[in-house]
Amino acid sequence: MISESSIESVAPGYSPEEAALLMRLRVFVTMRWIAILGMLVATLVASQVLDISFPTLPVYLICPVIALYNVVFYFQLRAIAGGEPGTIVHKARMYGNVHIFLDLIALTVLLHFTGGIENPLVFFYVFHIVLASIALHFRVVYVVATGALMMVGLLVGLEYAKVIPHVNLEGFAAPTLYQDGVYILAVLLALAAILYGTTYMATAISGELRKRQRQVVQLGEELLAEKKDELEQVSREKAELTEEKDRFLQFLSIAAHDLKAPLTAIQGFLWVMVGGYAGELTDKQKNMLERSSKRITELLNLISDLLDIPRIETGQILTEMKDVSLKQILRNCLQEQRKVAKEKGLKLTVEIPEQLQRIRGSGPRLQQVITNLVDNAIQYTPEGTITVSVKERRDDIQVEIRDTGIGIPEEDMPHLFDDFFRASNVEVKGTGLGLSISKRIIEAHNGEIWCESPCPETSQGSRFTFTLPKMRKRSRRQR
Amino acid sequence: MEGKAKILIVDDDADFIESTRIILEAKPYDVIIANQGDEGLQKARDENPDLIILDVIMPVKDGFTAAEQLKKDPKLSKIPVIMLTAFSAKGGETSIPRSRGYTLDTEDYLEKPVQPQNLLVAVEKALGRTSS
Repeated sequence: MISESSIESVAPGYSPEEAALLMRLRVFVTMRWIAILGMLVATLVASQVLDISFPTLPVYLICPVIALYNVVFYFQLRAIAGGEPGTIVHKARMYGNVHIFLDLIALTVLLHFTGGIENPLVFFYVFHIVLASIALHFRVVYVVATGALMMVGLLVGLEYAKVIPHVNLEGFAAPTLYQDGVYILAVLLALAAILYGTTYMATAISGELRKRQRQVVQLGEELLAEKKDELEQVSREKAELTEEKDRFLQFLSIAAHDLKAPLTAIQGFLWVMVGGYAGELTDKQKNMLERSSKRITELLNLISDLLDIPRIETGQILTEMKDVSLKQILRNCLQEQRKVAKEKGLKLTVEIPEQLQRIRGSGPRLQQVITNLVDNAIQYTPEGTITVSVKERRDDIQVEIRDTGIGIPEEDMPHLFDDFFRASNVEVKGTGLGLSISKRIIEAHNGEIWCESPCPETSQGSRFTFTLPKMRKRSRRQR
Repeated sequence: MEGKAKILIVDDDADFIESTRIILEAKPYDVIIANQGDEGLQKARDENPDLIILDVIMPVKDGFTAAEQLKKDPKLSKIPVIMLTAFSAKGGETSIPRSRGYTLDTEDYLEKPVQPQNLLVAVEKALGRTSS
């Protein structure tokens, strides 16, 4: 009759059962309008075309009565539909029961004025049964069938006993037919068989339909509950993971501090001694202390770098992201390095456009990358120039660090950004983690980093390039 | 400023205090020490130092909390503060003061270990007596 989806769309906010019931009762109202029209047409055809003679006035009077209570039903339905959701099914069923019995009475009265047992429309009660079985409880449908039979029985019985007058359909049925006991019995038996048979079949079918409907609803609810459980599970797991990550970062912080604190104290004393604050030192002593101090610095850097990697990999950078000015970052970190370069007799030049779009990133982390790349350039360039050049491109900002240094052997190039990798053409210096950390930082910013050696422009030294996406072009990727 | 400047070092690491004290006293500065935040605040009130060197990570009361309290105290708020930490100045570690809502100028922020000459430069700067 109507699909589940259209029920949903007709009545959002109702349960599928409520929506279906309301919809069916509305169909009843519509059917009643059609029935009234049918009655009028049938009466006209019977009296005018078929030339069956009977008083038509009662029919024309009954029709407005049905129309009247149909209008009342219409408003009743609207009132139910607007009521409390929980009460709709109960009320609608109750009104439905009343409606169907009023319809039975209406048909019986109509029958009385249109020939009683002579009128084949006596079998129209089947419609009531079918409609009732669609909307009402199956027991009520049996009651309706029984009620219809009793009413017809009472009608023909009273006419037979001449308690009430009989209307003869002149020209259609013999005027004495209503006194024919065998005929009456046969019609009543046939009617009983049809009504109960229809009741049985119609209730079985609509019962099955309702069962299916309930199954569909239940299935939907089960599915929904399952998905909800899954969602809760996932969000719980996510919260646990976040908590674990926070604990881990906290652990790293404490580990970093506790590992460095004793080294810092040692370094402090070493520097005090090397500085001559604790008395004169022989050259040998001083040399050994300086070498100790250097090793302590190495260890401190290694601790910093080692603990840096998990910090980056757990996405800590994302929490530090904000609008930053690359220009400012460059200014901050190159100040110190300019001095170091100058001491080594190197030139450090910066090429940066006047206007540079701000980017989304972690200032300290980007500073760390630039410091690392420029430090390397200074370290591996005996003489010449180090150039830091910034270019704004369509989708990103590109930063280049060029040097005129010793360059990188070809066989080292693929491993340059690996953890603990140190170039083969230089003395062991640094932790071997600087470039791998820089790569992690740039990638956490959704950028790219690469190296060319020799630098294509100058055919000497090396050139490190990294890109940082401009703000609105790409969304940040969660790591 | 007349005479020797008085510097208060607040740090829970006695060895670090010792080496720092030696460097500062050689300058010469007057050095007073405190081993934790509350003691540092008390000494600051009692001794009215010209500069406070404050370790960030200390048990009981950390350096940021102590610095915030210093800045709130009208008698102490004018005293310059140098924050010291064993955390690396790079990367996420420097985001700690920011995450605490505490803003520090770069001059006020030193990473442990501090080279003696760097320490002296920072101290002179903070005291407003940089020779330039």
